[in-house]
Amino acid sequence: MNFNRALVVYKKEMLEMFRDKRTIFSTIILPFILYPLIFIGTFSLMSRQTAKLEEKGAVIALADSVNDNASHLISEQIKTIKNFTVEPMYQATPRMFEDKLVHAIISIKDSLQSSGIPIYQIAVKLDKSTDRGKMIADKVNVALKNAESKILEQRLAEKGINAEFISTVSIRQQDTSSTAKKLGSLLGSILPYLLIMLLIAGASVVAGDLVAGEKERKTLETLLVSSAHRNEIVLGKYLTIITFALINVAVNLISLYFSMRNIASQSGLQMAGVKFPLNGFLMLFLALIPLATLYAALLLSISTFSRNMKEARSYEQPILLVSMLLAMSSFFPAIELNNGLALIPVINISLLFKAVMMSDYKVTHLLLTIGSTIILDIAAIFMTVKLFNNEGVLFRSESDTSLKGLKKNKKAFFTPYYGLVYYVLALLALYYIGGTWQSKEIVSGLFKTQVIIILLPVLIILRLVKADWKQTLRLTGTNPVNFAIVPFIAISASILVSLLGQLINLIYPIPQDYLEKMSELLKMPDLQLWQIIGLIAVLPGICEEVLFRGFLYRFYENKNAWFAIIASAFLFALFHLDPYRFIPVFFLGVLLGWLLYKTNSLYVSMFSHMLNNALAVIIMQVGNKGILGYLISDQGEINWLAGIPALVILAVSLAAFSKINNKQEDILQS
Amino acid sequence: MIEVKSLSKTFNQKDGTMFKAVDGLSFTAEDGQIVCLLGVNGAGKTTTMRVLSTIFLPSAGTASINGWDILTHPQKVRENLGFLSGDTGLYNRLTGREFITYFGRLYGLDEGRIKYQIRQMANLLDMHDFIDKKIDFMSSGMKQKVSIVRSIIHDPQVMIFDEPTSGLDILTARNIITFIRECKNQGKCVLFSTHIMREAERIADKIVMIHKGGLLAEGTLEELRADTGQTDLDDIFVSYINRQNTEAEVMAHEF
Repeated sequence: MNFNRALVVYKKEMLEMFRDKRTIFSTIILPFILYPLIFIGTFSLMSRQTAKLEEKGAVIALADSVNDNASHLISEQIKTIKNFTVEPMYQATPRMFEDKLVHAIISIKDSLQSSGIPIYQIAVKLDKSTDRGKMIADKVNVALKNAESKILEQRLAEKGINAEFISTVSIRQQDTSSTAKKLGSLLGSILPYLLIMLLIAGASVVAGDLVAGEKERKTLETLLVSSAHRNEIVLGKYLTIITFALINVAVNLISLYFSMRNIASQSGLQMAGVKFPLNGFLMLFLALIPLATLYAALLLSISTFSRNMKEARSYEQPILLVSMLLAMSSFFPAIELNNGLALIPVINISLLFKAVMMSDYKVTHLLLTIGSTIILDIAAIFMTVKLFNNEGVLFRSESDTSLKGLKKNKKAFFTPYYGLVYYVLALLALYYIGGTWQSKEIVSGLFKTQVIIILLPVLIILRLVKADWKQTLRLTGTNPVNFAIVPFIAISASILVSLLGQLINLIYPIPQDYLEKMSELLKMPDLQLWQIIGLIAVLPGICEEVLFRGFLYRFYENKNAWFAIIASAFLFALFHLDPYRFIPVFFLGVLLGWLLYKTNSLYVSMFSHMLNNALAVIIMQVGNKGILGYLISDQGEINWLAGIPALVILAVSLAAFSKINNKQEDILQS
Repeated sequence: MIEVKSLSKTFNQKDGTMFKAVDGLSFTAEDGQIVCLLGVNGAGKTTTMRVLSTIFLPSAGTASINGWDILTHPQKVRENLGFLSGDTGLYNRLTGREFITYFGRLYGLDEGRIKYQIRQMANLLDMHDFIDKKIDFMSSGMKQKVSIVRSIIHDPQVMIFDEPTSGLDILTARNIITFIRECKNQGKCVLFSTHIMREAERIADKIVMIHKGGLLAEGTLEELRADTGQTDLDDIFVSYINRQNTEAEVMAHEF
């Protein structure tokens, strides 16, 4: 790796980017025009609106049923309000109020207090939902307060008391949430979202051009035959994206900062002691650097994978959408950064921003956020480098995914594309049809879901494509010793996965009502133990294994075995539609996939799956929620020590298993 | 010189089947020699050249460029190799000079050498009027000249041209042919691919015919003529194809 050469690539890419008028306009010129326009525009519009409203004034009907000196004084005060027309109460006034020809009705009555001194009761009727109504309320309140103090002065003068006599305490309230903090909370909810989106937008403008663009313009080949190493090319391009993303953010922040200062001085906020947190802005910029590097790597790998810029754009869409949803977390006032959330990308930065803007962030959160982003970042860079060194990806060609091609070549059916299509359909059927069945009656619902939604369609499809279903699903015999080893694997894995569940529970506590629902489901008081095991362990062991390890695994094994194991496990975990069980089920899926890969026999993974589920059922039935409570992560103590023997047993049994099943021929592959 | 030793390149297709683009190909190209890789579209010419220029890794066999093995010394191979293809794109936002300088730097040349090389080549190819223009505003002939200079900036001993004239007008194609001859005169080893028989006839010292990824025939034009009894290269090519087909039939018959 020659850093100088990466720098040559970087400099050239920067030069090219700065020569692209569209890029310069969207990343640099636009922000400088946009914010002043938005802020100054909205502000002047708002102040003009207020002035206009005051100019319009209002029509007020006044009913004075007291008619003495004091009530006249009250009427006088209301009549002095600028642009207000005050008219007496008529028969038609209530109708006119309904028709909004009269905007408020004020009636003055009097009564006596227990001391015999009169009190004036003033009723104001108006519609406060409109801007005009609010304006009237404000103005009338001021007028009435004036009248009140004038009347008081008169009364005191009659008794010969100095008006100053009644001011006993002077209260000056100071709001402890400082104005800066208030401003921070307002900005804090909008800015993070805005900046994260800008960062991604800035990065994606450049990223698409850098590799997919080179493919499209047919310049990539020339670059690859030059003596630059591929990793040097990746590094140069990667730095270009980061630089542009950060330039974009910096320009936006600067423009935003000055627009806001401008508005503040115009609206008099500055006089009120509002200071804009300049160091806050700097902090934001620093916190964005790891995120910028993460997105640069992600978008660069998309760009590398795509055949052209159009394709890159369409692959970017899902990332943009997910990022948008995550970044929106700052909009919700109830969500605050904690150690768990600090590990989730985008959400952590978004919430950290909010905390910084309100100037109460914790250093641990800052470190966790930056640390976790950097770890993801390294993974993403690793992936990009790997993709860039993969000639199949760099020179990807169009594949035939038409149904015509499928009929010609039956083997073409088992491609990742069709696997995903089938999976999505099955997932929809599970959610809409299976969900309805289960909510009606849980036992028959579970049974029907397993057999009709999970098992049957697979058999029908294998029949349709005329595949040998026994060979395709790997329903082949295996060394009987395997069935003796599998229980050791299943039990020790269950313990470890359960500990993992506990660990996750520490970070993301599982709601109590969820746990209760889960245990209700597994208990099923009306059924015998063997019936529950049949329903929860044996049936899913057969049906789910046929779908995930037998059928879906086939779609992903063309690349390599581990890809098939991971992909089928991922789909398996997602199929449970349960965020709390996702990680444990994923690990179970990986184990089952590996057992299948080693033995080439679905019977082995079926057996292991049944054992695992049966264990969970038995533990629930026995009522012991201890360390074996696989699905139940107790808030209570965790017996970490149980992990050590479990780990030893698992390692030994896996090693034994691996040795026995060294290489099994797959009839379809050979 | 180029030595290709039982080179194979197989692609995994999405449906899980394998496609053999190059199948056990062997041939050599000496210094000061123009060798033409001749074959119909899809015969494996581009794949062979991409393997030779280290863009692809071979699935089996190997090759060497100027004595450097493509598997063990890919970096050295790239330093000793100039590559030019007919549909190569350029960076439109750069000027001709910037474009060439960029590649000069990637090859690790110092600034003085790059400047000197550009001046020499610009004189030779009459490029002074447009070398500082943005590539976006250049004609296809100008772009082709910029590409030529780019491919030779590091003065490589071996030149590989992948269908260098495809899609070019007659005048621009002539420039390329002149350039290829110039490379030969300088003692460089030249490998160039085409599916146009007349082009091969005109400039090749040696012809390597490939078909479906494998070697069909190898030799000078005279040798091939003597072997087949045909004079026109078109006819020579067809007679080799026929010969291969009959051999395949005989093989199928015997077993």
